[in-house]
Amino acid sequence: MKDFEYFSATSLQEACSLISQYKDVGKILAGGQSLITLLRQKLISPTCLIDIKGLKELDYIEFDKKSGLRIGALTTHRAIEKSSLIQEKYNVLSEMEKSVASVQTRNWGTIGGNLCSADPIGDPAPSLIVLGAKLKLVSAKGERVVPLEDFFTDYFTTVIEPDEILAEIQLPPPAANTAVEYMKFATIEAGIKIVSTSVAVTVEAGTDVCKDAKIVMSAVAPIPLITKKAAEMLKGKKLTDDVIEEAAKMAASETDPTTDVHASAEYRKEIVKVLVKRATKKAFEKAKKA
Amino acid sequence: MNGAKKTINVKVNGESYELSIKPKMTLLQLLRNELGLTGTKQACMDNSCGACTVIVNKMAVKACSVLAMQVNGKEVTTVEGLASKDGKLSILQEAFLEHSAFQCGFCSPGKLMSSTAMLEEMEDPTEEDIRRDMEGNLCRCTGYVQYLAAIKSVVQKRKEGKR
Amino acid sequence: MNERSVVGKPLPRIDGKAKLTGRAKYTTDIVLPGMLHAKLLRSPLPHAKIRSIDTSKAEKLPGVVAVITGKDTWGIRYGFVDTPNYPAEERPIAEDKVRFIGETVAAVAAIDPDTAEDALDLIEVDYDPLPPIFDPVEAMKDGAPQIHGEITRTTSCAWEDWGVARKSHSYTPENNVAARALVTYGDIEKGFAEADYIREDHSRSPGTSHMAMEPHTMVASWDPFEEKLDVWMNHMAYELKRYWLHKTLNIPITKIRIHKTYIGGAFGGKAPCFDYEVICGFLSRKLCKPIRIELTREEVFSSCRNSHRFDIDVKTGVKKDGTIVAQHVKVIVDAGAYKCSAPVAMFLSHAMCDCCLDRKNVRHEGVAVYTNKNFNFARRGHGAPQMRLAADCQYDQICEDLGLDPVEFLMKNLRKKGEVIPNGDRLDSFGLPDAIKKSAEAIGWKEKRGKQRDKNRGVGIGINGMFSGSGYWPFACTAIIRLNHDGTITLIEGDCEFGQGADTSYSQIAAEALGLNLEDVTLISSDSELCPMNYSNFLSGGLFVGGGAVYNAALDLRDKILKVASEVMRAKPEDIELKDKKAFLKSNPRRSYTFTEIQRYNIQKHAGDPLFGLGYKKAVPEIEFYPSLSKGTGRFTDAYGFTASTAEVEVDRETGRIKVLKIVVADDCGYEINPAAIQGQMVSQAVQGMGDALYEEIMDDEGRVLNPNLVDYEIPRAFDIPEIEVIDCSDFEPKGPWGGKEAGECARAAVISAIVNAVYDATGVRVMKIPITPERMFNALKAQEK
Ligand SMILES: Cc1cc2nc3c(=O)[nH]c(=O)nc-3n(C[C@H](O)[C@H](O)[C@H](O)COP(=O)(O)OP(=O)(O)OC[C@H]3O[C@@H](n4cnc5c(N)ncnc54)[C@H](O)[C@@H]3O)c2cc1C
Ligand code: FES
Ligand code: FES
Repeated sequence: MKDFEYFSATSLQEACSLISQYKDVGKILAGGQSLITLLRQKLISPTCLIDIKGLKELDYIEFDKKSGLRIGALTTHRAIEKSSLIQEKYNVLSEMEKSVASVQTRNWGTIGGNLCSADPIGDPAPSLIVLGAKLKLVSAKGERVVPLEDFFTDYFTTVIEPDEILAEIQLPPPAANTAVEYMKFATIEAGIKIVSTSVAVTVEAGTDVCKDAKIVMSAVAPIPLITKKAAEMLKGKKLTDDVIEEAAKMAASETDPTTDVHASAEYRKEIVKVLVKRATKKAFEKAKKA
Repeated sequence: MNGAKKTINVKVNGESYELSIKPKMTLLQLLRNELGLTGTKQACMDNSCGACTVIVNKMAVKACSVLAMQVNGKEVTTVEGLASKDGKLSILQEAFLEHSAFQCGFCSPGKLMSSTAMLEEMEDPTEEDIRRDMEGNLCRCTGYVQYLAAIKSVVQKRKEGKR
Repeated sequence: MNERSVVGKPLPRIDGKAKLTGRAKYTTDIVLPGMLHAKLLRSPLPHAKIRSIDTSKAEKLPGVVAVITGKDTWGIRYGFVDTPNYPAEERPIAEDKVRFIGETVAAVAAIDPDTAEDALDLIEVDYDPLPPIFDPVEAMKDGAPQIHGEITRTTSCAWEDWGVARKSHSYTPENNVAARALVTYGDIEKGFAEADYIREDHSRSPGTSHMAMEPHTMVASWDPFEEKLDVWMNHMAYELKRYWLHKTLNIPITKIRIHKTYIGGAFGGKAPCFDYEVICGFLSRKLCKPIRIELTREEVFSSCRNSHRFDIDVKTGVKKDGTIVAQHVKVIVDAGAYKCSAPVAMFLSHAMCDCCLDRKNVRHEGVAVYTNKNFNFARRGHGAPQMRLAADCQYDQICEDLGLDPVEFLMKNLRKKGEVIPNGDRLDSFGLPDAIKKSAEAIGWKEKRGKQRDKNRGVGIGINGMFSGSGYWPFACTAIIRLNHDGTITLIEGDCEFGQGADTSYSQIAAEALGLNLEDVTLISSDSELCPMNYSNFLSGGLFVGGGAVYNAALDLRDKILKVASEVMRAKPEDIELKDKKAFLKSNPRRSYTFTEIQRYNIQKHAGDPLFGLGYKKAVPEIEFYPSLSKGTGRFTDAYGFTASTAEVEVDRETGRIKVLKIVVADDCGYEINPAAIQGQMVSQAVQGMGDALYEEIMDDEGRVLNPNLVDYEIPRAFDIPEIEVIDCSDFEPKGPWGGKEAGECARAAVISAIVNAVYDATGVRVMKIPITPERMFNALKAQEK
């Protein structure tokens, strides 16, 4: 690992001014669960790290009936997994977090760091997108809010500017008659995801008719992929097995996966069909009861 | 200056240290190279095996992937800190010994730290909880069965103790 | 000796407290004053000439102490197989040519690992790429690029050193053939002519990683005054490592001391000599400083030995009732860039498998082929898992074709207890029939086999047999036991503790023989300077040979104690019993003398002769040297361990993902010296076998390993573990210590076949290429639909 200069920020404001000063050579350090491996492998060699892990002001989970959920960027994966508030109101997030890396990484790694890493196989993004997440980005110059679905631009790349810090993840209140289901597929139980998907289904109250749907997938494109056409095929329809099956096929055709050591592109598409089908069915059943 | 040393204060296994270190030093390097606590092992260096697991402020973390600077002001427990100084093993260490829950033993410190943290956090973990929380600790020798049994035996013992 | 109090008990391991408190010292924990760190520059090309290497920039980097290249180590050769016919061809640093991606081309010693690593980036190597060849079948074709020229000998070979009067000669591989083997017995033409049914199949086993948790590491310290090299290293038996350090560095063998450290797992992967070990010793002597080399996980995957890639064609002829009458096996071993143990593996794929079933007429052809890939070594079974996959899955299919039951098929073709098999080995213990029956029962064979396909579930069976030590120069072990003043003993033996439990089991063996408790044994082990000769563990002979030597030493001491006791007590030795550091009369236990008193008496009366025991054991007493690797003649081993395994799986037909529901391992390891340790060995192999069957494969693209880390090379973790049942089917082995024999390697192969066969039972689709990843299963299911 190369040497670097190290600053431990004591406030968000200080962090912003440090990163605006060092933006060309510096990097934000949160839990370092991704960053330290990159440094060790010399895939990146910043000359300065600005450590924000200690910022208590970015470590919170708060809920308000009207405005919804706010998660500080430095909230750890483990805190989200174990939060009774999230288990109650956004259970899919808690369930999803159980499959993020290992306990040790969840204990130290942050949700902000995960999203900023923009790993195409990341677990949280699909469910957060389905839930309508927005990100608050701050810098010395001010702040802006970006929908998560517009955040990712390419492999490991986002719209975040070099002098910006992700401060908060915002979610609207849980929608009525809606259920969200997250499903993943890997060779070993907790292995690298070959495909994962998050599906939200809203039903017309008291009916079998799908009012709204959203399907987001990871590991099948450079960024989390929203399969819009497949979701459209569900809307306004009674969700029979056939309808769901057709939508799942459509979802597969919308993906553009690549081949790697874990699976071929063709196989990934096949798995997309199965996962989307299974997740949609499950979400649908749950939504009817919701 | 780039790489200039910085000072940290850290408590390791109950003892306080003030150390001057390069910022790039990982917690694992701090423990093994600076403090001579070689019980904590390194098997992959890239955050994927769990051999380097230690407890920081009650949480299991992988020491190879945490900068030493980040434990400034914190409390670290390593495998050397589990038994009492006069030689009494912790209840988990006892259980590992009784159940032959280790073979080469290279992964054992990490497993002990993960399970110690888990049993601190959860009163009565289910089989699924245990497996999930041990997921990050790879072992090539044991096939996991005997050490999962060791952990379960401690859970059981604690329950009986309560009654 | 009917009532046993120490052996046969699941006693806690004696290395437990050290390992569980972090005090156990592994090689990676060794720190010496003034120690330097070395890193190796690895070739980025699979096949290339080295035109020149410029190390000047690296040498100038502050903190760098030395840079060495092939020029410094030119001519040094070593290899696992180093026989008169096949001279060793491995070298610590590439000389004028690189042969695989990951081969060492230079080494840097510096004040810390980061500096050494930075210096690697500053070394400039000018390569002239040569056409590479990756496929062994292509490599054997005329006109294929030749990986090796004439392989000549630079020093005497191991055989000569051990007194084999055979002239060495050089070897020039033709068409990249590193070695061939041909084993035949009976008359296969006749056999096939008698057959009612003949089947031919192809199977493939990939390269896999041993994945021992402790990365390969060595620390060496040269003492320029004594001209002596102190070494701490990852090994599986110090004799072989010490021998090669002596040969390659030209240091007298007794001037090399390998110190005891605990080894963080091995599974075969740490036994042979490695480039970094020679380099470590070389640098230490050159610089007169301690040197430490710890490989990265990536280097372990890409540049250290993996298991052998095997392609096997099997043709088997059977009678209608399932009696095997002939088998023709063709094995291609993809050796990689250097042969290492490939010539042995292709031979062992016959030798280890011949003890299970009587195939009557056999022809086993093997060829080991050089390719431009990383090369290989034994992994837990050394050729057996690959061969059993080929054979047991074919038997399963033959049964399907002929409407026979696989369990009955195996039972029908079994060898018999007491039988002398074609090479002359006698099966004095043979628990395999029992193991097959019990493993079938435990999985619910009768109720389940062929009856659960509607639920996508199936059961399968696999078997295996394994040497308890093999003939390899000189493959003998010695043990010494000292009777201490206080009546306890000090056991001195060489075996190394890499997780298998040798330290504990051997102590148990000695304690039992002398009527002592485990706590009464002080152990000195695994130090080449303190301990006598030991070749046991890396050749599957830990307990049987190493433990056998301990047993014999303990009996020797016991006899001596009894002799003195009989003098003191004026009784016949057979009327005296030893227990709790005392000798007493069986008829009157109150008449007793302590060991201390006996020792004292002996020194008084017998000119100061203190009591000690000496024992030795040779793997196969009857053989002088090797069995013939190329002809398969000669004794292989003195006792075989056996396993039968069954498994139940469930297949998700939509995704191809296979879930193992249960694995049964029924094992005959002879008498169980420590049942808890045996349980550990069996579960370990069940889980490794599952990994082999379903997940693990070293993948490469044109020789570059694509998954050299634990994220991409997935091994089973806590969540993947199915129900595992271990059944003790031990058959007492008369030649083994307390009746014990092999336990550490046999089961893995049986488990692999059991799972692969269960997958067939669940789906009706035969996959004989492992691992059966979800994608491979999915594609096979799709092909079936067509
Ligand atoms: C072995 C392993 C397995 C993993 N498995 C999974 C998995 O199964 N699923 C999954 O989703 N993820 C997985 N991950 C990724 C893991 O979740 C992330 O590493 C972690 O969440 C990153 O958080 P961190 O706080 O450690 O970020 P860091 O490593 O500190 O930072 C990551 C990147 O984000 C930037 N950054 C961090 N925080 C901010 C911020 N607030 N504002 C701006 N930039 C910021 C950093 O500069 C850096 O570039 C795995 C990682 C490892 C090492
Ligand atoms: S050494 Fe830290 S996770 Fe492997
Ligand atoms: S005991 Fe050896 S790796 Fe776990």
